[in-house]
Amino acid sequence: MTTKLFYDLFALAVFAVVIVVGVPFLMGFDGFELNTFARYLALGIVSLALALSWGSAGLLNLGQAATFGMGSYAMAMHLKLKASGDALPDFMGWNNVPELPLIWIPFHSLGFTLLAGLLVPAFVGGLIAMFMFRARIAGVFVAIITLAFLVAFQLVVIEQQGITGGQNGLTGLAPLSLLGWSVDTYDVSFYYLVAGCLMAAITVGLYLTHSKFGLILRAIREDADRTRFFGYNVANYQTVIFCISAALAGWAGMLYTLVLEFASPTYMSVSFSLAIVIWCAVGGRDSVIAAAIGAIIVNLLEGRLSDVFVEGWNLMLGVIFVLVVMFIPRGLHGLIGDLWKALNNQSHKQRANEAEPKLQPQPVKSGQEK
Amino acid sequence: MDVILNQIFAGLSMASILLMIALGLAIIYGAMGVINLAHGEFVMLGAYAAWALQTYAGFSIIVALPFVFLAVASVGWIIERVIVQRLYHRPLDTILATWGIGIVLQQLVRLFVGAESRFVKGPEILSGNIEIGGLIMSNYRIFVIVFSLAILAASWALMTRTEFGMKLRAVIQNRQISECYGIEAKHIYSITFAYGAGLAGIAGALITPLFSTIPTMGTGLVVDAFLVVIVGGLGSLLGAATASVLIGEATALFSMLLNDTLGRIAVLAGIIVLIRFRPKGLFPSNTRR
Amino acid sequence: MKRRDFLRGVGAVGTASALSAPAFLTTVSRAAAQGTDIPVGLLFSLTGAVAVVESTLHDAALMAIEEINAAGGVHGRQLRPIIEDPASDPATYADRARRLMIRDKCVSVFGSYTSASRQAVLPVTEQRKNLYWYPTLYEGRECSLNVMYGGAVPNQQQDELIPWAIENFGPRFYMIGNNYVYPKEENNYCKTLLEKHGGEVVHEEYVPLGHSDFSSVINRIRAEEPDVIFATVVGDSDVAFARQYHAAELDPAKMPVISLTRSEVEVKAIGGEAAAGHFSSAPYFMGTQTPENERFVESYKSRYGADQVTHFVSEAAYFQVYQFKAALEKLDPANITPETIRDAAVGLTLNAPQGEVLIDENLHTHLWPKIGQWQANGQAEVMLESQNRVAPLPYAAYEGQRCTGEGLVQG
Repeated sequence: MTTKLFYDLFALAVFAVVIVVGVPFLMGFDGFELNTFARYLALGIVSLALALSWGSAGLLNLGQAATFGMGSYAMAMHLKLKASGDALPDFMGWNNVPELPLIWIPFHSLGFTLLAGLLVPAFVGGLIAMFMFRARIAGVFVAIITLAFLVAFQLVVIEQQGITGGQNGLTGLAPLSLLGWSVDTYDVSFYYLVAGCLMAAITVGLYLTHSKFGLILRAIREDADRTRFFGYNVANYQTVIFCISAALAGWAGMLYTLVLEFASPTYMSVSFSLAIVIWCAVGGRDSVIAAAIGAIIVNLLEGRLSDVFVEGWNLMLGVIFVLVVMFIPRGLHGLIGDLWKALNNQSHKQRANEAEPKLQPQPVKSGQEK
Repeated sequence: MDVILNQIFAGLSMASILLMIALGLAIIYGAMGVINLAHGEFVMLGAYAAWALQTYAGFSIIVALPFVFLAVASVGWIIERVIVQRLYHRPLDTILATWGIGIVLQQLVRLFVGAESRFVKGPEILSGNIEIGGLIMSNYRIFVIVFSLAILAASWALMTRTEFGMKLRAVIQNRQISECYGIEAKHIYSITFAYGAGLAGIAGALITPLFSTIPTMGTGLVVDAFLVVIVGGLGSLLGAATASVLIGEATALFSMLLNDTLGRIAVLAGIIVLIRFRPKGLFPSNTRR
Repeated sequence: MKRRDFLRGVGAVGTASALSAPAFLTTVSRAAAQGTDIPVGLLFSLTGAVAVVESTLHDAALMAIEEINAAGGVHGRQLRPIIEDPASDPATYADRARRLMIRDKCVSVFGSYTSASRQAVLPVTEQRKNLYWYPTLYEGRECSLNVMYGGAVPNQQQDELIPWAIENFGPRFYMIGNNYVYPKEENNYCKTLLEKHGGEVVHEEYVPLGHSDFSSVINRIRAEEPDVIFATVVGDSDVAFARQYHAAELDPAKMPVISLTRSEVEVKAIGGEAAAGHFSSAPYFMGTQTPENERFVESYKSRYGADQVTHFVSEAAYFQVYQFKAALEKLDPANITPETIRDAAVGLTLNAPQGEVLIDENLHTHLWPKIGQWQANGQAEVMLESQNRVAPLPYAAYEGQRCTGEGLVQG
């Protein structure tokens, strides 16, 4: 066990205590407040998923919302079927769809739904990744292609009203029953379900970043060509992390549908996708825990600001975000690291211990010419 | 047959609007590699500037154009000085920062001008149509097409025929060496960014008689403009023009054969494939990078 | 150096817990209970794409609340408006609706323009048995026991309109709408009416929401030469459509656009000149001549500016607050809950700006449909006014289904 891993695990443990004990306690185990918080936690998972591809591998995926939406719709389809009983889901009647489309039929099964919510995004993410990375597309072009894909995908979802409910999305859903337990979204148990999922997702993220796999990804991020010369198949590594990130986003999407009780094509909008990037950047993309915390903090802040400054909260969020990008590019995580370093240097000036290799490689300052 | 001719004209008209919006973006991206997601908001500011000049000073859109250009260019100049300049070595972060700037500009306009849609009157002399057999062309749209070509030519001349253009090209080729020769790269960048923003402002002013002027109008435009720039090739003006025509005509064609939604999906799919196989665009610049 | 990483981890967590301090986390509870005032929620987007229209609904509803308070409130208690901005995003609507209904314990929430946002709010409204006052015209086919529908459903807007349009302009209809459920439902109903009255659909098409270049659509219209353009295009798409239609010099006398969605707000943005000659069907126009409307328009203008307009959705946003007040007045002050308010509201009549409106037992509203022709000054001249108040039939297009006080009834 490396020391870094030890401290990350320690951070996870503290975070877990805060989420599992601290937050519910502070909110007096109130179902409503915890329901609101569960939403933040679900968004934490998708932010964390982005940190895996963006932070570890340097692949800025502006289409993260598409895979999030797939998970969200998978869950919504299951719950819609459950709510409709033997009848056709109501919106299909409105769109003159005579019988249940083939693609809907397997979603009667919860098991299939849960698998589809993870595997469909992973599969689609994998396809896009293979398409891009086989051609050694990198940097800004990854962002543009994923963005174009997102726009197209959202248009398809809205266009196919008979299958997807179009602009209005899937509404009027039944509550989920999981192994005989009917999930009440305003109950403390539901909060723990989401919190548990977040912890599991963080664990997966930590495992990946600390494995050799994560190390190679960081190498690719710093210099893809050099890694290629060492004999690693760069495209395969990038594709795998893209798949995993997509699957986690799908997972978050499923939870999000449970929290809000509907699925909407706005979950796949450009602005939502960029919001995910913002959360991840605010928390710090180098650490999966920090990325999740970033999502929680920004959403908490949004909730509070919008309460106090009904007119100007959007403006404030914009300003805060610009400031974060300008002055703390590595997010809160980086900021705290830097502060500690400064403190450390102050108190241990005489001890020149710079021989220690840096565990976190600094981003290469590539000038104008690259 | 008439339908096809009219669709070709419609495609050209869409292309001219795309080109005007994309041109400023192409120049900014080409010169400094900045992905400016606030570009749509510059277009919006241009539209509002035209509205303000018409409502409070009684200027017709065409008279207002130089003022709009200056106004939006100065906003661009300030933003470059205060924010963008600090981010040149972090191209991915400029995407995020400019997105944030876009939100801020949008909200400022909403707070001070209001959320409602504003009305800007089109110029009288350009109302009406020209009819050639079954082909019916709106005068205003013809004007926009001609004007966009004029801007294209002017930008090209600025880049290649002036001292400023020479300095800019020198800085693009190699910033350090140009600075050694006494060119102030920072200064050049600020002016280029301001020029790109000003062009967006003109585009915004010119589309107001056709579109709805609201604070969120830029958001939808910026993605399309971006695709034009990427398809065209890094900072290539000719590339941006070609890509605009291609995308405009393809949209018009698919929209005739299928419908507007499917047309857009088809065009986006085409663009994704194109970027995959020609990531440097149709007209890659071979001078650097 | 290990310590640095240690702090990184702890620090990250530390921030989280610092920010989760109770004051920040648990809300500065504006919840009811303490005072004697009555909390009501206002859930209209003040930012984002829909804000163009929703901010006017917000203004109208807020004005009604303040008028009521200035006149002494209800049972001597003030209405306390709690304002949230859902930013035109359905997920945010759902989130803010939860706050208003659960945390702030509002007895009613007024809100929404789009169907998507109403449906986002619906789960929490029904689950909490709250009451959602929805002022907008909509596609019908909904029969919630927890929503008060103040706007027109298809039969109220179209029953008189379609025969009138066929008689005056001709039977060939070109349908253009945005691509979502509202235009599709209106068109479904329109088709049944066209069949009955001998009209036909020459083309039916849908453009994405926010679509702004209508060159192709206009070319098609030119090629098809229909008698009537039946439009269900909304928001800034409609503004762009109208302006480009005008720029293309298509003659409203030969091919008028008859819209179900275009109101004074859109016309103001389109410009009177481009809108002139086209038609809208609505239960209210700003020029409606009733004493109630004169008062409404006058106070709206003096409050928000002389250049402001009222329209058929903001009118409903306004009178719904008064319906709410009238229902409260019928109740025992000790027994005010969303459900008692609903039961008290059924059967209520109220002199609204458009005329006397009645709340049906299916919670929709009986309205006074009108057909207006837009003039160059941005106002509508009423061409045809319904002789009777028209009852709402949210399932008019579907035989055998009826929305009643008990909910949807089949057969």
